[in-house]
Amino acid sequence: MSAAREMLCDTARAVFAEAATAGMAPIDEAGFGLLLVPEADGGFGGDWGDVNAVLQIAGVMVPDLPVAGLIAPDAVQPAATVSLMAGAMGQALALSIEHVNTRQQFGRPLGKFQAVQQSLAVMACEVRAVEAAAAALAARLDAVGFDPAAADFEMAAAKLRANRAVGVVTAIAHQVHGAIGFTAEYELNRVTIPLMRWRSEHGNDAYWAAKLGRQVSGLGGQGLWEALTAR
Amino acid sequence: MQGFALYPFDPPGDVAALRAELRAWLAVNQPQGDVVARANSWASFDADFSRALGTAGYIGMTLPTRYGGGDRHPLERYVVIEELLAAGAPVGAHWIADRQTGPLIVRYGSEEQRQRYLPGIAKGELYACIGLSEPGAGSDLAAVRTTARETAEGWRINGQKIWTTGAHFSHIMLALVRTEEGSERNAGLSQLLIDLDTPGITIRPIIDMAGNHDFNEVFFDDVLVSLGALVGTRGQGWQQVTAELGLERSGPERYLSSHALLAALIDAAGADPDAAVATLIGELTAEMWTLRQLSMSTAAKLAAGEDPMVEASVVKELGNAFEQDMPRRVQAIVDCPWDDPGDLGRLLRALLIASPSFSLRGGTREVIRGIIARGLGLR
Ligand SMILES: Cc1cc2nc3c(=O)[nH]c(=O)nc-3n(C[C@H](O)[C@H](O)[C@H](O)COP(=O)(O)OP(=O)(O)OC[C@H]3O[C@@H](n4cnc5c(N)ncnc54)[C@H](O)[C@@H]3O)c2cc1C
Repeated sequence: MSAAREMLCDTARAVFAEAATAGMAPIDEAGFGLLLVPEADGGFGGDWGDVNAVLQIAGVMVPDLPVAGLIAPDAVQPAATVSLMAGAMGQALALSIEHVNTRQQFGRPLGKFQAVQQSLAVMACEVRAVEAAAAALAARLDAVGFDPAAADFEMAAAKLRANRAVGVVTAIAHQVHGAIGFTAEYELNRVTIPLMRWRSEHGNDAYWAAKLGRQVSGLGGQGLWEALTAR
Repeated sequence: MQGFALYPFDPPGDVAALRAELRAWLAVNQPQGDVVARANSWASFDADFSRALGTAGYIGMTLPTRYGGGDRHPLERYVVIEELLAAGAPVGAHWIADRQTGPLIVRYGSEEQRQRYLPGIAKGELYACIGLSEPGAGSDLAAVRTTARETAEGWRINGQKIWTTGAHFSHIMLALVRTEEGSERNAGLSQLLIDLDTPGITIRPIIDMAGNHDFNEVFFDDVLVSLGALVGTRGQGWQQVTAELGLERSGPERYLSSHALLAALIDAAGADPDAAVATLIGELTAEMWTLRQLSMSTAAKLAAGEDPMVEASVVKELGNAFEQDMPRRVQAIVDCPWDDPGDLGRLLRALLIASPSFSLRGGTREVIRGIIARGLGLR
């Protein structure tokens, strides 16, 4: 990650920590609404890679605040949601790893049991896949100047892939946490409930699958590969 | 395990031109093979095709030119490999030699081994197989019992390998053997490069459940090879093998080997598919696109000299699951009789039957998940 983006992320963490209790005001004041606005127009001149990084943090720290709406135009909200989801899934994984390494049963940390290890490996694959989808979508949006029409394929594929990961990730995270993860107090639900919500927002699985499926059908079998490699 | 950062896939030179050149070459040189062979690209043996591909410079691309290679960037090779797989070209004969054995000889081999084997590999004429598994050593590879004893004349090898893909057409085997008497587990193992026409070697076919002869049993009965057959450092076989395996799990073959089925499904669906079929195509495409991003990123990380062991395992795990699920999901949605003679039906049948092997070969699903769990800090 570039030094400028590291700094941006540090700022986001500090501001979002404040916003977690104070609401949107600190985020507005810090100028996150200007992230994508060109420097010439008095903005930050950031790219979608920056948005992706900031929204992954927002997905963990302030999943209930409308940060994505502040930063990105409506037409790219599906892409913004993928970043929020990638962040929240990374957090669900991190919480799960921490939990199984500390919680002891049968005289050992849960993470020493092979069944638990294999479940978390499955979850990690899903999380990595969504992180990769978010990053690749960001790269495409940057290559086409944030034009949602030129990134339609990637947006559909990434949102669909993220949606499909929600079930696996939330199920395994809760399973390895046991009852503590089902409490209002424990922080896991602060990412799993938003994940469930984001799956239906800005296009559920059926919506994107039908859209992508029709687009690909028009390309034909050979055409799909040609289109993929031409982008 | 840190969060995933996408490594930019940025091969030198003009990638679009490289693709175009290869596609034009394939249009002329790819045999109009059967559709089922196309879905089984890296297991399809075609010596003429391999020779032509080697002559055209598409095998051993990353090997040094002084050994007949192309001295190309690993990501240029990646582009060529994904094109060959997507086209379903019959790359099975030279596949292992090109992917694994050649690079390993460059890295660990002696000068004599390089001169002896690499030019043939790059020409697409010299084929290799991998001798790891034994009857008592499957997932538990450290249980290898085949021995090689150092004598005045050379290494004397006794034992048995099993499940050796392509041993029946290969010229050489890269074998993991126990060279140190009394050693146990992963200590005392070494890699030997064995010419398969050496007296004392018996190769017996094992027919798989699809009726194909791909893998074999290989018996070593007092086989004598020169001391120069040792690859790399004596006693370091385990380390050399794990590096080799870890690095070869992320290639495009982990999600593109059944691409012919996806293409056939799309073609059969036509431009205006019904809702269920469109949904299935959308879901499969999203998964395939994501896998391609993961695989390219892992290849780029590898090319940058890093060790993406965990990412490579993620690609294999997700890629295997994708390729195993695809025929099952197509079968569930598309109304196609079991004995349908059309392309889609034949592909479906062949891949349903072949798919159990996907999460066995190259490290089982459970072993791969164990590697990922270790990367997460759980083991
Ligand atoms: C098509 C095909 C091609 C192959 N080609 C080659 C080749 O060219 N060269 C070569 O050397 N080998 C080859 N193999 C062999 C392959 O590497 C082995 O099949 C694999 O390592 C598993 O070993 P096994 O079959 O003995 O199964 P086993 O080790 O007996 O395992 C059976 C099942 O038990 C599970 N299991 C085992 N141990 C554990 C554990 N500790 N915890 C949890 N689960 C466990 C496994 O994951 C698996 O699901 C090939 C296999 C196939 C199917």
